[in-house]
Amino acid sequence: MSTELHTLSGAYALNALSAEEAEQFRRHLEACQACRQEVSELQQAAATMGASEAVPPPSYLRAKVLSAVDRTPQLPPHTGTANVIHVAPHRWGTRLLLAAAAVVVILAGAIGISQIGDNGPSEQQSLLAEGVVKVFQADDAHSATMETANGGKISVAASSKLGEMAVDTEDLPALDKKHVYQIWAIHGGAFSSVGVVEREKGAAMELPEPDTEVAITVEPAGGSKQPTTDPIMQVDPRKVLTGQV
Amino acid sequence: MPEPELRLVPPRGPVDVDELMRRAARGESQAFESLYDELSPAVYGLARRVVRDPARAEDVTQEVFLDVWRKATRFDVERGKAKTWVMTIAHRRAVDAVRRSEAQKRQDHQGAPDEVSHDEPADAVIEAEEHGAVRDCLETLTDLQLESVRLAYFNGYTYGEVATLLDKPLPTIKTRMRDGLIRLRDCLEGAR
Repeated sequence: MSTELHTLSGAYALNALSAEEAEQFRRHLEACQACRQEVSELQQAAATMGASEAVPPPSYLRAKVLSAVDRTPQLPPHTGTANVIHVAPHRWGTRLLLAAAAVVVILAGAIGISQIGDNGPSEQQSLLAEGVVKVFQADDAHSATMETANGGKISVAASSKLGEMAVDTEDLPALDKKHVYQIWAIHGGAFSSVGVVEREKGAAMELPEPDTEVAITVEPAGGSKQPTTDPIMQVDPRKVLTGQV
Repeated sequence: MPEPELRLVPPRGPVDVDELMRRAARGESQAFESLYDELSPAVYGLARRVVRDPARAEDVTQEVFLDVWRKATRFDVERGKAKTWVMTIAHRRAVDAVRRSEAQKRQDHQGAPDEVSHDEPADAVIEAEEHGAVRDCLETLTDLQLESVRLAYFNGYTYGEVATLLDKPLPTIKTRMRDGLIRLRDCLEGAR
């Protein structure tokens, strides 16, 4: 365990790290049981300090919160299925559930993404990842297909039942080996990386918090910490969910 | 729009917040209501302290409880108490709200960040059960530990910003934050 990183546990428990450092520290935590224990104890001390400032909220807030809760589905529990790669959690709670290993061969027509000019079952095979297909096929899924600024097409689906969204990136222009497509969550003007996406497989991720948009940029291979080019597409997943796109 | 206070005050006595969270995870909205009654003063009070504006603090409180409801299914008691989990979410969201609005302000008029007022919120802080113990335990911290912890936690500064404010090297502030929290933890454990 790196002592250099380890001393950040206090600052981490106080949320006093920059987004990048917090991300780095979280990765460190994954590998360090003793650090997790310490962080959890320090978070408890901080929480107790915070709780000592208790002030009753205005009473109308209760009804407002409970009615919002009434309209909000819960996320499914993590079941530890092996075909989902959990990228370290990101600032906005969005993460890629890209199923790299479990690529399934399916008919593109079967998942209903070729709605325009659908010529019946297509012979063209798709290599979309299973997690992506699951979202497109969810019985409450809404999807939308849009043109991208670099001359391709992308389909986005969202399911509130699964609490997930997915992008089908197969119809994006292929990139050379030095570039990748990278997905971002944008909240309050700040971009945080969700992950790099493999064009043929697409990507599935948790539905981000409200007021978060999802965008894709072209980045140098390996991905970037912050976008270096303008997004080729940007969408509010909540609008996909409610059929407003 | 304020309404007369009509709801029943939840019965005092030990409430098992962890158990309420488990029930909320199974979709029991009544358990979630009890959870709200139990934790909303702590969440709202912290949000008030950090974001200062009461309306924003209400927004933060609502976001926190929606988050807790959505993710209750993923709460793992092995990794800490439910109350700690909720307060950690609350703090993170409050700090994000402050940093967002600071970034917004800088974008709007390129000016220096507003001077931060160190006043207490106008409302009386309710005498939370932890209040006395926390106050006593905070007194066991050195001045630098206390300042580092408070500026980060209640003002939402990063440790770099705290180092600048206190005119101390980064590694010093990093370790003071950790040592301060460790001292607070040990003292609170002893107080229990």
